[in-house]
Amino acid sequence: MPPMKSEDTTGPVYWRSLEELQRTPEFREAVKREFPNDAWDQLPPATRRQFLKVMGASLAMAGLTACRWPKEEIVPFAHRPEGRTPGVPERFATSMEMDGVALGMVVTSYDGRPIKAEGNELHPDSLGALSAIAQADVLQLYDPDRSRRLLLREGGQQYVKQWSDFEASAVEDFGGDGTGLAVLTERSSSPTRSLVRDRFLDTYPKASWHEYEPISRDNEREGTRLVFGRPLRVHPKLDAVGVVACFDADPLFDHPSSLRLAREFAGARHPESGAGARLYVAESSFSLTGVRADHRVAIASSRVPVVLARVAHLLVAEHHIELPAAAAGYAGEAGQTLSGEETRFAEHLASDLANFQGGGAILVGHQQQPAVHALAAVLNQVLGSTVEYTADPDPDRPTHLQAINDLVAAMRAGSVQTLLILGGNPVYNAPADLRFGELLGEVPVSIHLSLYDDETSQRCTWHLPRAHGLESWGDGRAWDGTWTTRQPLIAPLYDGRSALEVLALAAGMEHTTGYELVRDNLGGRFRVLDFDTVWRRALHNGVVGGFAWETVSPRLSPGRLAVAVDGLRALLDAAPPTSERLELVLTADSRVWDGRFANNGWLQEVPDALTKVTWDNALLISPGTARDLGIDDGEMVVIEAGEASIEAPAFVLPGQARGSVSLALGYGRTAAGQVGNDVGVNAYTLRTTAAPHVISGAKLRGTGRKYALATTQDHFAIDTLGFEERNLRVGTLVREASLDAYLANPEVFHEHEHHPPLISLWKDQAYEGEQWGMAIDLNTCIGCNACVVACQAENNIPVVGREQVLNQREMQWIRIDRYFKTEPGLRSDEIDDAEVVFQPMTCVQCENAPCEQVCPVAATQHTTDGLNAMVYNRCVGTRYCSNNCPFKVRRFNFFNYHKDLADTTMMQFNPEVTVRARGVMEKCTFCTQRIEAVRIGARNDNRPIADGEIVPACAQTCPTQAITFGNLNDPESKVSKLHEEKRSYATLAELNIRPRTQYLGRLKNRADGGGDVGHGAPHGEADGRGKETA
Amino acid sequence: MSEAAIDSVSYLDNTGDDPAVRARLVVGDNDFHSVTEKVCGIVEQPRPPKMWWVAFAAASSLTLVLFACIGYLVTTGVGVWGLQVPVGWGYAIVNFVFWVGIGHAGTLISAILFLLRQRWRTSINRFAEAMTIFAVVCAGIFPGIHVGRIWFAYWLFPIPNQMSMWPNFRSPLLWDVFAVGTYATVSLLFWYMGMIPDLASIRDRAKTKLRFYIYGVLSLGWRSSNRHWHRFEFAYLLLAALATPLVLSVHSVVSFDFAVSIMPGWHTTIFPPYFVAGAIFSGFAMVVTLIIPTRKYFGLEEIITARHLENMSKIMLATGMMVGLAYSTEFFIAWYSGNTYEAFTFLNRAFGPYAWAYWTMVTCNVLVPQIFWARKLRNNTVVLWVASILINVGMWFERFVIVVSSLSRDYLPTSWGYYRPTAIDVLTFLGSFGLFFTLFLLFVRFLPMIGMAEVKGVMPQAHLDRPGHRGHGDYHGDIAGVEVV
Repeated sequence: MPPMKSEDTTGPVYWRSLEELQRTPEFREAVKREFPNDAWDQLPPATRRQFLKVMGASLAMAGLTACRWPKEEIVPFAHRPEGRTPGVPERFATSMEMDGVALGMVVTSYDGRPIKAEGNELHPDSLGALSAIAQADVLQLYDPDRSRRLLLREGGQQYVKQWSDFEASAVEDFGGDGTGLAVLTERSSSPTRSLVRDRFLDTYPKASWHEYEPISRDNEREGTRLVFGRPLRVHPKLDAVGVVACFDADPLFDHPSSLRLAREFAGARHPESGAGARLYVAESSFSLTGVRADHRVAIASSRVPVVLARVAHLLVAEHHIELPAAAAGYAGEAGQTLSGEETRFAEHLASDLANFQGGGAILVGHQQQPAVHALAAVLNQVLGSTVEYTADPDPDRPTHLQAINDLVAAMRAGSVQTLLILGGNPVYNAPADLRFGELLGEVPVSIHLSLYDDETSQRCTWHLPRAHGLESWGDGRAWDGTWTTRQPLIAPLYDGRSALEVLALAAGMEHTTGYELVRDNLGGRFRVLDFDTVWRRALHNGVVGGFAWETVSPRLSPGRLAVAVDGLRALLDAAPPTSERLELVLTADSRVWDGRFANNGWLQEVPDALTKVTWDNALLISPGTARDLGIDDGEMVVIEAGEASIEAPAFVLPGQARGSVSLALGYGRTAAGQVGNDVGVNAYTLRTTAAPHVISGAKLRGTGRKYALATTQDHFAIDTLGFEERNLRVGTLVREASLDAYLANPEVFHEHEHHPPLISLWKDQAYEGEQWGMAIDLNTCIGCNACVVACQAENNIPVVGREQVLNQREMQWIRIDRYFKTEPGLRSDEIDDAEVVFQPMTCVQCENAPCEQVCPVAATQHTTDGLNAMVYNRCVGTRYCSNNCPFKVRRFNFFNYHKDLADTTMMQFNPEVTVRARGVMEKCTFCTQRIEAVRIGARNDNRPIADGEIVPACAQTCPTQAITFGNLNDPESKVSKLHEEKRSYATLAELNIRPRTQYLGRLKNRADGGGDVGHGAPHGEADGRGKETA
Repeated sequence: MSEAAIDSVSYLDNTGDDPAVRARLVVGDNDFHSVTEKVCGIVEQPRPPKMWWVAFAAASSLTLVLFACIGYLVTTGVGVWGLQVPVGWGYAIVNFVFWVGIGHAGTLISAILFLLRQRWRTSINRFAEAMTIFAVVCAGIFPGIHVGRIWFAYWLFPIPNQMSMWPNFRSPLLWDVFAVGTYATVSLLFWYMGMIPDLASIRDRAKTKLRFYIYGVLSLGWRSSNRHWHRFEFAYLLLAALATPLVLSVHSVVSFDFAVSIMPGWHTTIFPPYFVAGAIFSGFAMVVTLIIPTRKYFGLEEIITARHLENMSKIMLATGMMVGLAYSTEFFIAWYSGNTYEAFTFLNRAFGPYAWAYWTMVTCNVLVPQIFWARKLRNNTVVLWVASILINVGMWFERFVIVVSSLSRDYLPTSWGYYRPTAIDVLTFLGSFGLFFTLFLLFVRFLPMIGMAEVKGVMPQAHLDRPGHRGHGDYHGDIAGVEVV
């Protein structure tokens, strides 16, 4: 459809009729009739199932009009531009911002196409690693469902517009002193945005400014305000070898600094270097941190204050820790009865905190009330913990809930005439009781800048396409304040603009390009002659040194503490949840976060770490509660909370707190795009301003209908026979021992190995140069899925959709196997709590590979450097290799999964990796393309390959550096040394397959020395041998 | 020869005769001419009977379904089946093994029983051999279409190619190619060669030019001369000797597909004999299933007598028990080996998610044949026919249990799965029956379904060298108490 001609072009005015020239209302009507509803809306409603097909349909548009390349590439390379070699990837430091924290990353670009994001080693929140979500942001860039043009919705009609139209109308809408003008924006730490915001507010002094994020750390911020009298930013440290206690907190996953924290956590978990930290976790639903806990107790979120108060009490009463006078109220005997488990947990923790003084830290989750954070802050203060504080960068900012409340109040009062919404999706994710969507319809002019024509855009008069982070200039601050730059890697594909640019436009600034704004802002901070050098270095590094905030040593604010103590008392008196009055916890999703990544196929298909569910959210319920309520695994249940109720599938998860159910936010989108529409259920409908995270008094009712959740692993609930066998096998597959047992007897991980001598039928291959191997440390793996997405991005792994996952045809080359561990002898219907262990599993490149021997066409072969290579163009797809693979890590292209991809999506493909055809087997190659790239470089330089020079995608992005790759022929290589560790073992080695990947056993550092739960199969002889060695 | 000549049922039924004395193989008032009339008459009818048309319409429709399913498969991908990881082989391989197994009875009857001079085989060997060929045709389809890139399936053959590569001779799938290929070739040769004298009979009786030419070409100039007969019988003996090891080898090699792998439930040394016994079991069951209605419908009860059926039921009883023994041996070894993976696989077969398939298999293959201990039951053609169908069902499930249940739960519990066939899986399987019956119906219409020349050789009129062979296996000329000249 041809866009309407903009009216304020320079030069002579051409016109077809006087009516047009005069822009009479009749003429406007005629134009509206001539361009009725957008063709976009005429597309038949497509299900997710058809998403690949529909992406194909949009191919024409993508190919014809929308596919824009960086300008310098439009000119053919008759003369190659300086510094550019075609086919040689370039890497640029940039960043992405989520919830007001910038995360530095380095993006690889092939011939102008950004294809893969990796962490920026110089960035304090990344340290070279990147989370699954941040990596998948690249796919979002190429999403064919992204909005492609400006839309104006008036009188039930929809018109396609140009930026010039918007600019013209903005002059009217933003006139005057800003009376009736309101801005609702995402939280941003960008210094440039602050500057532009100030300019905007200067221009329109009466305008109101609101920042809203559905998921934030505001409670923590308010907690510090209660204790210290001003809001502070909390910086936990996990690198000290000490005691860390997490109360509903998940520092390894949902903290803005989680990548750094995970690295620190792993650093304190190397028994070989004498590090043995201890982690306590009390939480309502399994978190990644909870999985790694040495002591974990599953308690409802509303019980967290009670247990924490008991810890405080024990510290004062039994361990003689002194609380300051103002905080003395915390130490009173809470008078609450604790369960045996809770008591034991509190006692162990109090004792450890008292004895480990100097190394302890108490962390509280963002969903807990400020009073709980306040108590933790007081305890951290008196225990001299490792937690550090900096001043809050924006101390006057109201909380996000307050901000949106204020805005809604203004909208209700009718005092908002123009509402500019920059990013976010408040119609979808504002608390349900605010009825934001309805009120928005009453605002005369509402403008939404967004990547997608989403729920909010559809209720606004204007929709503006937003430039993706990789398409725009920007900056931001890391969690610790480090100045982080953002540079575009590609010109906007879809004519989008960044929030910064739109705000600058609204503010009437003369410089409105992102580049100028960002550069000028940084330039203003440097009084140097040669700013260009500074600028280039800033862009090169992605970070600018010297901007991290100073840590502060706050003092307790006695006046406010009393309020905090009272607040806590109110929480302590809440009745514990029961099966009849459940507690419902709304959590950020591990994949789509608050819903903004709902249209991202990689993330939708990454299995949730604990449930292994893809393409859905599910109501997590403990086996005990499910039994009480007569709810089956996978049954659709009705959740009633307050006046709202929704239906969701139940997922029985051992380790979930009894009486507490959890549901992830971010699903049930209606205008996310072809991928994300109608995936899961929308938990925001249950969310209110009064109870944004933890809702008490929820009711659950089974419907008797079953829903098939697409999991990549068996559910916890299977037949008794399988259940028992699974429990028997876990101990030998994922070996675990207590730290004490390991220190006393390093052979503890090999005690249960017994098999006949392993002799090969074939002549062993000799290796002269390199032979590759891998070591995966189960003691530091946190199951965060970063490797899964890294592999998917690196190796062009297709997204197959829910139906295919249901039939176990997911394609990810690396998976994180999750096992539950329970006390031996328990029947499946007696279990409520369980431990969880993770085992990343990908092709272990067997030296004596079962797959190689059975392939009739010799399509899978051993290479001279020991890889078990897959020759795609030789494969005919008998699937015999997959059948014969004991690890089942081979993946088969049952269909042509790439056939109908949009042109834009194909731009993401890594040109170094074959895109596999239909009917071909594929699997992990140890990133052979990376091996070859390094090998070629080394050969050109006539030098050997250095250890650590080759890093497969999974190892590169692993936040805990649990994956080590290298040359096994070199006894000095890191991987060889790890293979020599006593903790190192090969899974299923008794099959004589000689895996090249070995696992380092997991350790548990419990206060009572336990941790050998379910170790090994119950073989009499094995026990005997164990005694001999002991 | 007319039906009126058969004056009593007891005359037809010689199964109850004194076992110490050899019974007549062709009963009734039959001579060489009447046998020729009966067998050639079927082929020479100007129009096939109505029932034939009905059956042919049904079978050929199913064949169309098969080809439609294959067409859909080729254009879309093997994902149209219920396959997945871990169960990478499903209906296709189950059907392949099933059909190859069916194909065993023919060669066993024509080759091994020939060498063992079991002359009663003559009435059924043509029939069984034809069944073998058609079963192998059905079997051959599945490995071809089950691969992911069907257009490259020929890469499994060791033929010169642009990659200058041999296939991987370590792979049992390649051995399969050779074993099944050889078996199909030899079976076809054996069948066709044995048919030449009979084709010549039809040629000689031809009343139209077209028939004369077609059967004339097919009978390769057979003139029934002494020299022809001499060479024919010698060649027949040689081919029988050649085919005999193939009977044992082909299913042994098929079993290697599983036995050579490292999957618990597959990796077991009992597979070759177990598979061969099962194949003979299922092959005979299929012969019985087909032959009972056929002999009834075409009035061949005097040539394919109740005694033939009884003999086959005894073979089924014996092989059924061999299969049963194999089942129990597997369980014993799974326990005795101390291999926990193996032990679990077998417990899982019997009590896991696929227990329904396992117990269907045990019921049909082990329990059902036990009724053949009772003479009354095994001599009742209705009972025998139903039992033979149940055995076919059971043998299909045996392959299903082996292929699917073993794969569905192997080493790592995280990659356990549950395979469900799709509609395409089921339709392809049914379609293969369509193809089988289509070929079979064409066979009974156009080719002599009983080896006339061989049957005539075991009739009393043939005056076999009576002295010196009395009471031994190769002499069937006498009827007890009846003096033949």
